[in-house]
This record gives sequence, C-alpha cells and structure tokens, in this order.
Amino acid sequence: MRLPCPHCGPRDYSEFRYGGDAENPRPKHGTGDLQAWHDYYFVFNNPKGPHEEYWQHVLGCRRWFKLKRNTATNEVIGVVQP
Amino acid sequence: MLERRSALADAHPFAWAALTLGEVRGFTLTQAAVFDKAAEAQVAAVIGALPQENTRAIESNGRTLFRTGPLAFWCVGPENDDLAAQLQGKAIMTPLSHSRTRISIEGSAARAMLAKGLPIDLHTSVFTPGTFAMTGLHHTPVLLHCVAEARFELYAMRTFAMDAWEWLEDAALEFR
Amino acid sequence: MSFRRLSSGGLIDRGKPVGFTLDGKSYKGLAGDTLTSALLANDVTLVGRSFKYHRPRGIMSAGVEEPNALFTLHDGGRREANIPGTMVELIEGLQARTQNAWPSVELDVMGVNQIAAPFFQSGFYYKTFMGPSKGSWMLYEPFIRRAAGLGEATHDFNPDPDRYETRFDFCEVLVIGSGAAGIAAALSAAAGGGRVVLVEQDSRLGGGLLSDAAQASWLNDRLAEIAAAKSIQVRTHTSAAGVYDDNQVVLVERRDHARPDPTKGQARQVLTMMQAASIIYATGAIERPLVFANNDRPGVMLASALRTYLHRFGVAPQSAVIATNNDTAYETARDLAAAGVEVTVVDSRDDAALAKRNDFRVLTGTVVANVQGRRALYGAVLQGAHEENIRCDAIGVSGGWSPAVHLTSHGGIRPRYDAAVAGFVPGGFAPTHFGAGAIMGTFGLNAAIREGAAAGAKASGGTGAQIPAAIGEDRAYSVMPVWMPPKARGKAFVDFQNDVTAKDIKIAHQEGYHSVEHLKRYTTLGMGTDQGKTSNINALAEMAELRGLPLEQAGTTTFRPPYTGVALGVIAGRTTGKHFRPTRRSPLHDWHAANGGVFIEAGAWMRAWYYNWAGDSAASAYVKEMELVRRNVGISDVSTLGKIDVQGPDAAEFLNRVYVNGFAKLPVGRARYGVMLNDDGIVLDDGTTTRLSETQFYMTTTTAQAGEVMSWLEYLLQMHWTDLKVHVTSLTDEWGGIAVSGPNARKALELCFPGIDVSTEAVPYMGAKEFTFEGAPIRLLRLSFSGELAYEVHTRADFTTALWERFIATGKPLGLKPYGLEALASLRIEKGHVAGLELDHRNTLDDLGLGKMAGKEKDYVGKALRFRPTYQAAERWSLVGLELLEPEKKLRGGAILFAKGDEIKGHGRGYITSVTWSVELGKTIALGLYDGGLKHVGEEIVCAFPLKNELARAKIVSPHFIDPEGKRLHA
Repeated sequence: MRLPCPHCGPRDYSEFRYGGDAENPRPKHGTGDLQAWHDYYFVFNNPKGPHEEYWQHVLGCRRWFKLKRNTATNEVIGVVQP
Repeated sequence: MLERRSALADAHPFAWAALTLGEVRGFTLTQAAVFDKAAEAQVAAVIGALPQENTRAIESNGRTLFRTGPLAFWCVGPENDDLAAQLQGKAIMTPLSHSRTRISIEGSAARAMLAKGLPIDLHTSVFTPGTFAMTGLHHTPVLLHCVAEARFELYAMRTFAMDAWEWLEDAALEFR
Repeated sequence: MSFRRLSSGGLIDRGKPVGFTLDGKSYKGLAGDTLTSALLANDVTLVGRSFKYHRPRGIMSAGVEEPNALFTLHDGGRREANIPGTMVELIEGLQARTQNAWPSVELDVMGVNQIAAPFFQSGFYYKTFMGPSKGSWMLYEPFIRRAAGLGEATHDFNPDPDRYETRFDFCEVLVIGSGAAGIAAALSAAAGGGRVVLVEQDSRLGGGLLSDAAQASWLNDRLAEIAAAKSIQVRTHTSAAGVYDDNQVVLVERRDHARPDPTKGQARQVLTMMQAASIIYATGAIERPLVFANNDRPGVMLASALRTYLHRFGVAPQSAVIATNNDTAYETARDLAAAGVEVTVVDSRDDAALAKRNDFRVLTGTVVANVQGRRALYGAVLQGAHEENIRCDAIGVSGGWSPAVHLTSHGGIRPRYDAAVAGFVPGGFAPTHFGAGAIMGTFGLNAAIREGAAAGAKASGGTGAQIPAAIGEDRAYSVMPVWMPPKARGKAFVDFQNDVTAKDIKIAHQEGYHSVEHLKRYTTLGMGTDQGKTSNINALAEMAELRGLPLEQAGTTTFRPPYTGVALGVIAGRTTGKHFRPTRRSPLHDWHAANGGVFIEAGAWMRAWYYNWAGDSAASAYVKEMELVRRNVGISDVSTLGKIDVQGPDAAEFLNRVYVNGFAKLPVGRARYGVMLNDDGIVLDDGTTTRLSETQFYMTTTTAQAGEVMSWLEYLLQMHWTDLKVHVTSLTDEWGGIAVSGPNARKALELCFPGIDVSTEAVPYMGAKEFTFEGAPIRLLRLSFSGELAYEVHTRADFTTALWERFIATGKPLGLKPYGLEALASLRIEKGHVAGLELDHRNTLDDLGLGKMAGKEKDYVGKALRFRPTYQAAERWSLVGLELLEPEKKLRGGAILFAKGDEIKGHGRGYITSVTWSVELGKTIALGLYDGGLKHVGEEIVCAFPLKNELARAKIVSPHFIDPEGKRLHA
C-alpha cells in the first residue's frame, strides 16, 4: 500500500503509523463536558467504505495528516485538507 | 577539551571496487523552524536562498540545506558553524549535530545495496544528484541524500547508527 | 522401457551431463533438464505416493501446476519439502527424495490405506473424530497425520545456512509471463522508453512457445529484440507470488542454478517488492486433466506436458494415447507422431471430420474410461464409439484449458465463467491492470500477440510497437467439455494432490456441502501446495452438474497469494539473528562493554544491567550497587531517557495543557516533575521538564514511552492545537545523560567540574544549571530517582563517554563506581517512585496516588474522562507498598494478592508490580496494586504465585519505604 504524505509525496505504508479514527471532532481545549469527551473517545462508526483516519509519516518527515481511505478496498481517496 | 566519540568509533570503514562505506565527521547540523512564510524570509536573509522543493537539497554558502517540513529546514554546515547563534530570535533553532551519524556510501553497487532496505525509487532517472528522502531503514528513520550519481550520504539516528552500519555491512557483502 | 531420451531435439546441452540422486540412487541428466525431465529420460515414472491412499503417482505436468511429483531436496538446515520437480533445474549433485512412502515408493506399506479407502472419503475425519466424543480426535490425530501427508520439514534445528534477500524496486510496466502475449506486451510497452520489467517463472523466456518448435525462429528474433531494448529488464526464475494494494507485486526469484555462496553474501532466493505503475497479466493458461477411473496412474499426463517434454527436453514415450475434448491436443499428437511415437487420439467429440485430416489414428465419440497398470500403465480402456483396449506407455489428457486468473483475483475481482473458453477469465481489471493472451481465453498465437501489443501500448501510455506475426495460422480450440466421469471400476480423481475423487464430490453434494467454499473445506479439494491449479474447474463443474446449475452460477473459490509456494526464508530475508530487529545503543555502550558492564535488552535498547565489579550475577551485583548509592555515590547511564526540545512563544501554555500539573509559571532554571494522561484519563507517562528560557523547555520522558510521547505531542500540535506556536524536536539522540546519585554526589560533581559552583544555593533541589565544560555543553539538573541527593548531568552525545570517564577518574578517591539498570530500578522501588511496571496504560492518577498533583482550575488532557464514574470508584486497585513477613520466602512480580482468609482462587484483590531486596530495610519489599489501596495499611495479606505453587504473607505499608519527608533530596 502507498500513502500520500502531504510533505514527502506517495510513500510505502511501512513508513507510516496509524493514528486512529478521525471522524469524531475532538472537543476544544477547556471543554469539560464529560458526554462530549465520551462521544469523541468511545463512540465510533465502523464504516465499510470511505473513512477518515489519522496517519503520521513517522519514519519520514513526522507530519500528521487526515486521510480518506476506503476500508473495503484500501483505495486512498486523498488527504483531507484541514 | 573533552574528546568526541562517534557512534561508529568501533566500526570498520571499507573501500571495495564497487562499494565504499565510511563516516563523515566534523559537521554541524542545525534545524531551523519557523511558523510562517514571513519568518522564512527572515531566515533566508541570513542563510541565503532556501530550498523550495521538498525532495531536493540545495547548496548555499557552504551549507547543504534540506526542507524537512513545510516550515522547517536542516542546515548541514562545517564544524563549528555558528548558524544557531546567527539565527537566534529569528527562528526556532535546534542543534542536532550529535543526533545524526552521517554515513557515506559510494560506488557502482551503492544503489543496488540501498534498494535492499529503503522503500523508495532509487533509479538513476528518479533519485538524481540533489534528491533526498526521509524514509526508513530497518525500522528506523533515516535521511538519504544523493550527492552524486554514485555517492550517497545517509543520516542515521545516532543511537541506531551502529545498527544501520552493521545492516549496511551485511547488505554490502555480495559486492565485495 | 517406456520413456526415453530421443537422439535429437530439445533445448538441452547434450555435451553436459549432470549427475543427481533420487532416494540415494544415482542418475544422469543433461544441462537444461528439470528434475522431472531428467527422471523421465531415465524412464523413472513412479515418483511418489499419494496423500491419503498412498497410491503410486507419477509426473503429471511440466510446470507450476504439478500436483504429484513433489520432492524433498537437500538435507540438514537446507532441507526443503514439497518442491515440484517440474520447477527444479537440475544441478550437479542434487539430492532428491520421494515423499510419503516407506520404505520406498515401490513398496509402500501404507498402501494398505487403499484397502481401508472407505474411511478416507470426504468428511470422514469430521464424522468419526470430531463427533460427540471430542477426545477421540486428540487420540487419533497423530496417527492420521503420520499416515497421510506430504514431505516433512527438517528434524534437526540447524539454521538454513543459505542467505535470502529482500529488496524494493519500481517500474512503469510490469509484464507477468513471457509467452507470445507477454513478449509482445513487453516490446510494445518498451517503445515508450519507460521502465519495463518482464518476469518469467521458468528458467527461460518463451512460455508455451518453448513447447512449439515451429515458432523457434519467431521466438529467437523477439528475444534478440528484448535483449537489445535497454528499458526492458528481464527476470527469469522469478514467480509473481502475489499482487497487493496499489500495484505492489511480490516477486520471488530463485538462484539455485547459479550456485550462490552464502559466505560471499550471495542469496539463494530474492524477494522483490515491486511497485508497478501498471501491470500486464500474460500468465497463460493451465491444461486440465480428464476425470476417469484410475486417471492417477503413473504415465497419465497432461497432453501439453508430453509436448513440452518432447520439445524442451527431447524426452518422449514409445507410444501414447491422447485423450481430448478439444483441438489443442492434436498439436501434441502431431508432434509426437513426427518424433516417431506411436499415437492414437481419443476424442470425446463426435465429429468424423476430425479423424480425416490427420496422419495418425483418431477415434472420435470415444473416451478413455479406465487405465491398465498400477505402478506404470500399459494400456487405456476405451468407451463410446470404439470400445477397445489400446496398449500404450503414456496417456496424454486434455480436458481443455483454464486461464491462470489467480493473480488477477488477488485484488478481490472475481473471475467470470466464459462458456466458449469452458473456463474462468478475469472478471474485470483495475484501471492500471491489463490482460493478454491465454489468460483472456485468447488461444490463437497471432491474436495473443495483437492483444499483448495493445496492452503494452495502453499500459505504457504510449503508441506501442508493431510486433511481427507468428508463423502459421492460429490454432482452433473448439472445446466441448464432458464433466462427469465415464462409468468404470476404480477411483476417478479430481484433485490428485489431496486424493479427492469424483465420488467425494458426490458425497459432499449429498450431505449438503453445495457451496464452493464448503466443498473445498469438506473435501480438502484445492488445498495443498498446488492450490487446485489442475482440479478446481473439474470439481466446480461436477458440483454444478449435480446441483443442476449452469457453471457460471456455481461460483469459484477465492484465490489468495501466494500463486506458487514461497519459502519462509525469503519472506524473512536477512531479518534474522542479529538483524531480527534494530538494536539501539547508548553513547556509553562501548564503555560499558569494555568495562565489565553486562547488557540487558530493554525494548530496542541494550542497557547496562549491572557491572562485574559488584558481582558476577545480577542477583548478587545489584545489592552492592544499591549500597554504593545509599552510602556513597554511583553513576548510571540514563541516556536512554526520552528527551524533547519544546520551543516557541506558546511552549509554556502547551506544557500546561499536556501535563496534569501546572507548568505555566515554572521559573527559568527550574525543573518540575510532570505526569501526562491520555485523552481517556489514563496515565500516559511521567518525566521531568526544565525551563531553559521563557520560550524553551527541555522535556524528559521515560525510556519506554519516548516515541509515544513524541508522536502524541506532534499529533496535538499538528492536528488539534494548530493555533499554538510551538515546535517539538526529539533530542533523545542528541544528549547523553549521566545520573550521579548518593550522599557524596555533590562531592563527585565538585571533583569532576572544578571551578563550577554546584552548591545547594547555586543548584537547589529541582534546580538546573547550564554551562560549558572543556568545550562540551552541560545541562546539570538536580533531580533524584533513587531518593538520594542526586543529579542528572546531560551533555552532547559524542562527549558523553569522555565526561563519564572523567567522573570515574576524578571520583576514584571517593570510591565512585558505575551502577546498572537493576540497581537503578530497585532504588526507585525503595523510594516508591512509579515506573513502567506501574504506568501500564491501565492506571489513573488516583490509582498511583498522584491525584493531588493535578491542577484544580486549569484544563489538561484527560481531565474530563478522568472524572468518569468508573475511574472514581472507591474499589479500584491502587498503589501500595508491601513488606514480606516470611523472610525465607519470595515475593514475585505478578503474584496475586488476597486478603487474609480469602479463598486462594480467581483474580484476587490485586497484584505485585515490582519487587526488590531493600538494602535500607534489610528485607524484601514490593510495590503493587491492591483493592482499596492505602486504606488497608497495616493489614496482613497473602501473595499467591500459582505458577510455582507459592504462598507468602506480606504486610501493606506506604510505598515510600525510605525518607518519606525527602530530607536526603534536599541535602
């Protein structure tokens, strides 16, 4: 599998680490709302199809990015611009 | 003065017909990072032209410059380069000279040997002189810089440098 | 004598004899032979016994599809089992052994299995051994495994002395297969100038053309063009084992023929991860056997294999019956007849016209129903329009051709049944994938060449090249399959390697195992080393007919990598032994090694465990090293700690967010112990962070979590707190660290750094001082892990050894010595400092007794979820100290804790995390987690270690065993 590092370009998957589901927005710093943090941290969809997730080019430039990937086919749809 | 001891102090450099493996010592590696393009211009005012491409290093005023992040650079200069002092206050300066061990790999077999470990396209038409890549060798991060068609410099993490060296030595065996 | 080497013909070197042995008996072959062609040339036709019934088996094919002729090669660490002899290039001295037969293939005692045959029908194991009494499988399995099987792995544990290599490569167009279509595709793709790689699993290029002498000049012309084309890289002996996401193709190259020498670094096999912009599949097709009684007898071979042995190796039988249902087998018949073989064609198609145009005997409307002979056949029994027995040495069978769609299916696109082909063709292609030739059901040479040239043009994005036409007219195929076996006495095999018969499929059908996937698992059809290359379609077709379904509705099994067997060694490559994983070394590594340090692995690190000045085992040495620190002064290598440069205008705010305690107001020149949580309120790591200036901090993390913490900080800054102006960089490799600990620590510093003020006023507890010493930048931090007066002296990595040596030299009058990891970790237990064993990603701040550290007003990572009810429950297991009450016994890490009077059963009320001998208290102490924690101080509990059947009484105490007021730290 090849993943598109936003800084270095397409690279072998072995240079990256997976950083988890990126679909839930992380509550803002200063938000003490237990329910909001609970929903962010524990409640996920597990879609078959396009899915946003975090990746880090950990052996390369160490950039983190949000990637849209089809979980059924492994097709990389692209980097989600912040 | 305290004596410096390289991570490869006990390694044995070699020079065969097809392959040479050695260490480059006596350099200064400084990381310069900024937060916006305006600050980048201030850095350029001190250093000189900065590389615009993410995969090509440039030579500038006796230093080799790599763009290692959107707003970050590695500047490899001569020993006792006081770049960190020159840029103090203009950029976030982090001295990294002891962090990386610089291994030189030269010869007609260099590309074939490196292809055993690096998941990047090392073909002569792609990885041309000046090209660099931050990638992984044996699960550890390295920066590979093509200095000339048959000469490379590999910046390995100091604590993994002996491991990288031993790995390269083993990979090189068939080219002896 | 049935098979023999002809006096001429074949792509072999008749001047170069090659000696080899089979089961210890010597034979001669020729350079260019495979193991099977050499065996046939020596008239060896019986080469193995079958999987379940131990029936005599011969050589069936001349390629990767071979189900029967499997051999064990070499010996000792080099031993390799189940290697198809059709793919083994003959090299001088090759030692081959037949498999699954004892004492020999000629006289195999397990042949009695044929009498017990009813027991081995499909489902037999399940019904008999896995039924109501489960124990019976346990009892019988070893016997069944011994009776049924393939080759055996080596029995000694010598490592394989050969070398295996892995590498990465890239190309524009990867062409898999070098028959007419593949050659045309490669030449056409290369016209664009891009990098083309042509892979061929055989030892030479040509594919089916090598079995067709009439095309020799066409082939030679094209090979010359390929050799001249700079942009084509040819890889023979190379199998495409699997096709993965984004066109990553695993290629496995065998180099046995080149006699690689491992001591010279030469690899026996090379695995290439090929990244191809586009892929052309020109993988050809595999001929199918016909299903009839005793169709497994040695001498029954694929018709195309007879043709290959004739043209490539100059080997042929004296007489042959060719049984077919299509036109392609007539080429074999014609070529054999021309070579002087007595040939009769038996064609199931009822078309009198077929008989007329040949100069050999053709019996139409007729099938082979049975075989005469056991260990070697001597005749064919015909049924249909001509009922007669024909004496012959070989029966060449052609049940039609199955396109080799395996690789195209690896990406998940299922093949599609094509009735005109009577086989499955690719069900579609990804945009960068193309197919050409027989894989597409295109069996005519010129049609395949045109298809290949077109694919080459498309794959390279260019205009391609004109490829000259092949010699002669395209052949017809005209297949008319008959799937059900003719009625006759004897087993009719569908899957030869797994001994699955037509009757087994009928049983599976009767018992409701209709779906293809069920059929496979119930009968074991299509498993094994050949993965059903010759058997799948015949089985699917029979099942479809039994179900009354058209074949296209019966489905196919899933094809998974690898296409052909891959040695585990080449998957590992050089990732073995020393290079199994990377080794991380401290800047002081060489000093430790040269000065009596004994290493222990800690993650990737090699750490100094203890030094032999203190003893010759860890158990004896660490106590002495602890005493050194408690009573005098010692130095220890702490270079492995994670170290992070945190810089920027918002650095203080950033740290204030990631640590539970406050960092915003930390004065410059001061250090602070901090704890960070994950988002879910679990402790992630702890460490000490020093403020070097208003905008610069020097963070340390634990050795184990350094990488995690670094990534976590980058994640927060790059993905979430993008408004904070902070830059983080790992300094773990930049700075080495030396801990100087003990009541005489300050004296040691004074001796080492003459002229530098290290008084408690200049460097108070949790104070920091930066200075340059003999050209080396020094960061002196006054912190303590041991509980004694202690400092960490950090300097740049290359200077660390010289500085360490200076401490050793100047500290000599004090009696300063090094101490290792075991003592370091034990000293902190006495002090009650939590470390990796307690920070195990399951504990909260409160569990570890650190709840009071957390800021009340400010927000920090993990704050919200830290307060969720589960984490605030009173009955949580939390940190306690333990003292052993029975000195003659042992406490052990992992021991389960029970209250006095509890039944010793289940998970107990907690467990021990860390144990040590306390030099200070003169007894064994421990840290642990216990239900209710320090509420139980003073209570006696029971520590159970069931693995060693041990019970020991202990008392719950405060985890701060020594100096709870911290007087020593501030000394």
